[in-house]
Amino acid sequence: MLDTLSTSLKDALKKLAGKTVIDRAAVDELVKDLQRALISSDVNVKLVMELSKAIRTRSLDEQLPRGTNVREHVLRIVYQELVRLVWASTDVKLEPQTILMAGLQGSGKTTTTAKLARYFQKKGMKVGVLCADTFRPGAYDQISTLCAKINVPCFGNPQEKDALKLTREGLESLKGLELVIVDTQGRHALEADLIREIIEINVIARATHRWLVVDAALGQQASEQARRFHEAIDIDGVIITKMDGTAKGGGALSAVAETKSGIVFIGSGETIEDLERFDPDGFISRLLGMGDLKALLERAGEAIKADDVDVNAMMKGKFTLRDMYKQLEALNKMGPLKQIMGMLPLGKMELPDGVYDVTSTKMVRYRIIMDSMTAGELDDPSLINSSRLQRIARGAGSTPDEVRELIKYYKMMQRTLKGLRGGGGGKFNMQRLMKRFSGMQ
Amino acid sequence: MFGGLREKLQAARDRLGSSIQGVIVTQASPVQETHKGGSSPSTASIKTISPAAPTFVDKVKILIIDRELVVSEKDLSDALSEFEMTLLESDVALKVSDAIIARVRTSLVGKHRKIGASVDALVVGALKRALLDVLGNGFDLVTYIQTHNRPVKILFTGVNGTGKTTTVAKIGAYLKKQGYTVVIGAGDTYRAGAIEQIGVHAERIGIKIIQHQEGADPSAVIFDAVQYAVSHKIDVVLADTAGRFHTKSNLMNQLEKIRRVMKPDLVVYVDEAVAGNDAIVRAAEFDRTVGADAVILTKADMDSRGGAAISIAHTIGKPLMFLGTGQGYDDIMTFDPVQVVEELMGSDA
Repeated sequence: MLDTLSTSLKDALKKLAGKTVIDRAAVDELVKDLQRALISSDVNVKLVMELSKAIRTRSLDEQLPRGTNVREHVLRIVYQELVRLVWASTDVKLEPQTILMAGLQGSGKTTTTAKLARYFQKKGMKVGVLCADTFRPGAYDQISTLCAKINVPCFGNPQEKDALKLTREGLESLKGLELVIVDTQGRHALEADLIREIIEINVIARATHRWLVVDAALGQQASEQARRFHEAIDIDGVIITKMDGTAKGGGALSAVAETKSGIVFIGSGETIEDLERFDPDGFISRLLGMGDLKALLERAGEAIKADDVDVNAMMKGKFTLRDMYKQLEALNKMGPLKQIMGMLPLGKMELPDGVYDVTSTKMVRYRIIMDSMTAGELDDPSLINSSRLQRIARGAGSTPDEVRELIKYYKMMQRTLKGLRGGGGGKFNMQRLMKRFSGMQ
Repeated sequence: MFGGLREKLQAARDRLGSSIQGVIVTQASPVQETHKGGSSPSTASIKTISPAAPTFVDKVKILIIDRELVVSEKDLSDALSEFEMTLLESDVALKVSDAIIARVRTSLVGKHRKIGASVDALVVGALKRALLDVLGNGFDLVTYIQTHNRPVKILFTGVNGTGKTTTVAKIGAYLKKQGYTVVIGAGDTYRAGAIEQIGVHAERIGIKIIQHQEGADPSAVIFDAVQYAVSHKIDVVLADTAGRFHTKSNLMNQLEKIRRVMKPDLVVYVDEAVAGNDAIVRAAEFDRTVGADAVILTKADMDSRGGAAISIAHTIGKPLMFLGTGQGYDDIMTFDPVQVVEELMGSDA
């Protein structure tokens, strides 16, 4: 949803450029574009209508603050209304607690449970998982396999049919641990028996948090389902899963609005590490093209030592082959390039598709080639002439073409990162604008 | 499954009907007066919106000679935007609802209508045709199996968590009940617990299953299942696969390989009825890379409005075969578009 929204927002805002008086037609058009973008991102239709109405009235009625132009004024309103929609950030404390997972069938509860266990384990907590899914065949096998991989104790019994009994026994058996995550079977709001069951599990587990797992592709149903889950067990956080597909996750926004809670985590991949903390500021700044540097640094900090990749130097355009080498090394730990680039402040920069077009096998080849370069060449790739190129190729056991391809890729990355810095020298500098916002609120 | 959509469509239909009715009342009298009095036609000709619309003289001619009225775009716009909202709220993807609205509009605008004829019939007819066009014909699996060489090989594809494994089990049970012999290939060798899951299902419904270890090559498992079916003269092979996102090219290549090795008679694309706008993106991508001959929608019992059915059918133009409607093995129903549309729009017209 971030891409479509930020593109259409930017297009719409262009029309307000240079205006000193609010133009009703332009605002209407902006609102209409915004509506279409939100609806095609699966945000609840009623919610979209309320939001766009608020933006429209406020844009037209509110006094233009002194010293701001029309575009900044409208953008600020859009920003504030969107923040209101995303609601508060939910605090994730590293203290003893019990987390109950709830959600529809196939939304990804079990996978997310394992990812969460891994997340808290990395933060240094003693974690245990309780499998209360007594219905789906293979559910216990799935979670226990995942838990075994990360050395987290997992309680469950595929023969037991009573989820309540299982919960009681599990809590007893996992008593010494700081954090217990209770995975439950998938259910939807119309299955009265199952809703009753989860209410009882919640009572028995005395859960500190009750998180609703929502598939990013879930459509208009999200509001209704979230409302009923909220009525049953008082949901206090939403996790969006499967954000690595093309789905936009608007259904999760509807769920958040319905439960008056916040998005806690975002799942975006099949491996156990693919879980990201959600931060509304980052979400909105990503939305408005600011990039989510905070999340990127948090991730980088976990994956690599702080001095390995100097994001700031990179942003200043000081990007050498050496940086790229480190980056490739770190990439394995940090996740796919596209995800990382998504967190960088891209502004209105469009990344060439070729940037992402480097598969992991190619990454390995590139690293081997770079191993054959001298220190001087790594710092200043322009040194590489045809005889050096031959030498590198021979040393790495590759062809000169591959070395050329690597240099081409490097140049593309360098250009891209340079372009990010000044927003291409455009008149519209997001960074400055955002600073202004924070001063105004 | 379509209960919510039905209510909304009927409300929209009333709205659309009354809006045209209103037009007749307001339009009919001035037009007739104009003709009698012989005054300038300029006031009424404002109603001509698009250049292709009939001229005022035509309208009068039609009105006087044929006793018919012409429906203009402006008369419809309010009601149609209402109808569009209905579709959007029912999870029909934005692009698809745009297309349907456009179709209804073109089929109604400029249409001649007898003064006495029912407005309702006109509107309902247009909506029905639009929806039927989109939903196409259903797909009868049993007839298909009867008319094809055994074993009939069916491959199931789809993104993660849509319910492929459960659907394979349900279809296995359904075909077994129809008297066919079935073998399942446990092609999901990736997700932890998937082989155990389909194994338990197969055991419960009493169907032979071919499985390898976790992490094995899914093409090999499915190939073995086909071989088993050939040598044991089994009627149907059902091949389960791991869920995968259409954006992961390596996984899509793997699926392509499975298709090459298995040579399926039918590729069935499985998605959930609660999916929103993304349904069209991924259906199109799956259809492009590995093809799809039929579609199954799962989780139709979650009070969904059936919009995904319309979206997917419109995007890839493939028939819907089954709806999954619950957690039991019998919770599956064949999809009959005519019946669904009749139910949605009421059968009175």
